[in-house]
Amino acid sequence: MEQAVVNNKMISRYLNKRLDTVSEHLNLSDAAVNVPYVIKGVNTSDRSMKDFLFTLGCYEGETVTVISVLTESYIINIKDARYSIDEGLARAILV
Amino acid sequence: MRIAHAGDPNSGKTTLFNAITGKIEHVGNWPGVTIAKKEGDVRKALNREGGMIRVVDLPGAYSLSPFTTEESITSEFVRNEKPDVIINIVDATNLSRSLFFTTQLLELSIPVVVALNKSDLLDKKGIVINREVLAKKLGCPVVETASTKGHGLPELIEQARIVYGDKQTAPFTGLSSSNKDQAVDDKVKHERFTFVEGLVKDVETRKVASIKQTRQDAADRVVAHRILGIPIFAAVIYFVFSLSQTYLGPPLADYLVSWIDSFYEYIGGLMGADVSPILSSLLLDGIIGGVGAVMGFLPLIMVLFFLLALLEDSGYMARVAVVMDRHLKRVGLSGRSIIPMVIGTGCAIPGVMATRTIRDDRQRRTTAMLTPFMPCGAKLPIIALFAGVFFGDAAWVGTSMYFVAILIIVISALIVQRITNNGPAESYFIMELPDYRLPSLKRATVSMFSRAKAFIIRAATIILLCNAAVHLMQTFTWSFQVVEPGMEGTSILATIASPFAFLLIPLGFGAWQLAAAAIAGLIAKENVVGALAVVYGITNFIDTEELALLSGAGEVAEVMGLTSVAALAYLVFNLFTPPCFAAIGAMNAEMDSRNWLWAGIGLQFGVGYTVAYFVYQVGTLITTGSFGTGVIPGLLGVALIAGVIVYLVRRNDHKSRVELKEAV
Repeated sequence: MEQAVVNNKMISRYLNKRLDTVSEHLNLSDAAVNVPYVIKGVNTSDRSMKDFLFTLGCYEGETVTVISVLTESYIINIKDARYSIDEGLARAILV
Repeated sequence: MRIAHAGDPNSGKTTLFNAITGKIEHVGNWPGVTIAKKEGDVRKALNREGGMIRVVDLPGAYSLSPFTTEESITSEFVRNEKPDVIINIVDATNLSRSLFFTTQLLELSIPVVVALNKSDLLDKKGIVINREVLAKKLGCPVVETASTKGHGLPELIEQARIVYGDKQTAPFTGLSSSNKDQAVDDKVKHERFTFVEGLVKDVETRKVASIKQTRQDAADRVVAHRILGIPIFAAVIYFVFSLSQTYLGPPLADYLVSWIDSFYEYIGGLMGADVSPILSSLLLDGIIGGVGAVMGFLPLIMVLFFLLALLEDSGYMARVAVVMDRHLKRVGLSGRSIIPMVIGTGCAIPGVMATRTIRDDRQRRTTAMLTPFMPCGAKLPIIALFAGVFFGDAAWVGTSMYFVAILIIVISALIVQRITNNGPAESYFIMELPDYRLPSLKRATVSMFSRAKAFIIRAATIILLCNAAVHLMQTFTWSFQVVEPGMEGTSILATIASPFAFLLIPLGFGAWQLAAAAIAGLIAKENVVGALAVVYGITNFIDTEELALLSGAGEVAEVMGLTSVAALAYLVFNLFTPPCFAAIGAMNAEMDSRNWLWAGIGLQFGVGYTVAYFVYQVGTLITTGSFGTGVIPGLLGVALIAGVIVYLVRRNDHKSRVELKEAV
């Protein structure tokens, strides 16, 4: 019972690491606060999330700025609006 | 003529709708308040030329491609229902994103009027918009509005009337080519944003760049702080509940109850001795007593609704979702799950409906299953009654119930996660953060009175009927004879409720009267209080004088024949068993799965029974040194519940282990 959960966690951690090393870009979780970055891509298999981010103005070539870093979440500025995103999404946004 | 309101989330559509139609739909300062279509007619004062103008308020959406369920309501409506005019509400402080949706709406061949809403905030933010140029470039009228202040409404309706039947030319076309090829789709969206960007450059000047740090950002870092976030939220919640249930609510309730008492006596005197005793008892004890017992708690509920409205108006709710996200993720929920739960403290039905904004099916269903655990406004009378009668109005009883609810939600979420979770699922959290603002006392007052009205209507209809039914069932036997004194167990009510009461013996309250009240609570939770008043013939739960309250409370406690511990067990049982049927209906609609619905109801019964069992048995052990009655049979019942859960968890673990092996 415990084993299965541990295995699942290990696999997901492994996959996350792989994804991180595959991309040559930094992602938003590495970004400095108050510095505008140009988005290089959104790295996720979740197509509808990618589309949704697009409608907010979060897509390749647009600018994104990290306003605050809270633990496990980030407050970012895209276009003229503030959003809160979690660590997972911050990692998916490449800059 | 039919006008549809469409625009980005939290652009102020419903506030504008309320100002135009005079309706009192629920508003709040966070994205995703409106989750269903609302309709109303334009007020006469704004409709100078007469004729009916119907306005349809739609949930907020960022584009015509829906992301969550409530967004699809909007895109389906404007695409398929062909309104005559679309009023596109645009947040004037955020043109560069909002106009994306505007250009899509302009392609639908429906005349559009743009409402540049929140225009009162432009000065403060150092933004200047050239309205004429914008109107010219978009090819549609643009009206400046401030929905919270009611500015610009006559002009908006006037423009809608003028464009009615017009053909407008879309400044950008691209919708027809979308939905085919992904790459083409992306390219079109890209071009659309480039077009919008050019447009904004021409019409907008900003003295302050939006990326500049503001005081709002500094405030976010405090209220959404890693360590401080949760204590701040707990303090806010404590303040809201203790004010409504301990400090401000009860004194107001005392006042109201004295009125109800005089009414009872007035009617009693009016009827005199000539009226048949059955009829007078039905009217006095069944109807006035039962409904009055519920109505007495109205002030507590009004204070709660007032404070909740202030909270929703401030912009804090979106921050709560941020704070809670990382914690709720660990138990398989989303930060958004907290919003249905906070709304659920008012009423579970809109709370459950608010789960619509959660995109992940599992998270949404789990949230819909757990939201009814939050004590709602209708459960407030039960809490206040027991706190007053058995615990001398101790502040901790009321407020602690909310924290117990949160604890139960967390544990239940963990159980549901263990039963349903198959491996790691990617689940992202994103939420737009609205600006903080000073909550409007006027809006909160309006909201409070509209919800108080709904409460009174319920009390005067469904609660009244139920209490009358309970009273009649208690008065008559199955052969429709009046129950003989001392033979109360032969009444219809007693014979129906007794088998259930038997199951409740291990919980400390195996009396048929209490079982009947709990069952009546499934129709509406206020009924628990109403039915208790009827079956025990008590009319006054809250007394006017503090001294009288203590002796009165003692009497009530004596009549019910419960120990304090059993009373607490009865309280938690009523709070944490399944909600009323209407809320179960809402659960059914949002879960959209029979399995989940039955599992949810099963979980709610299991939790209610288990918590009440432990409260009673452990509490009795502590207070008297030995267990209460029925400790062993009850333990078997609880073990059965636990057994089912363990079986389901193991089955899921087995399943995921098999899948894991196959994957490897």
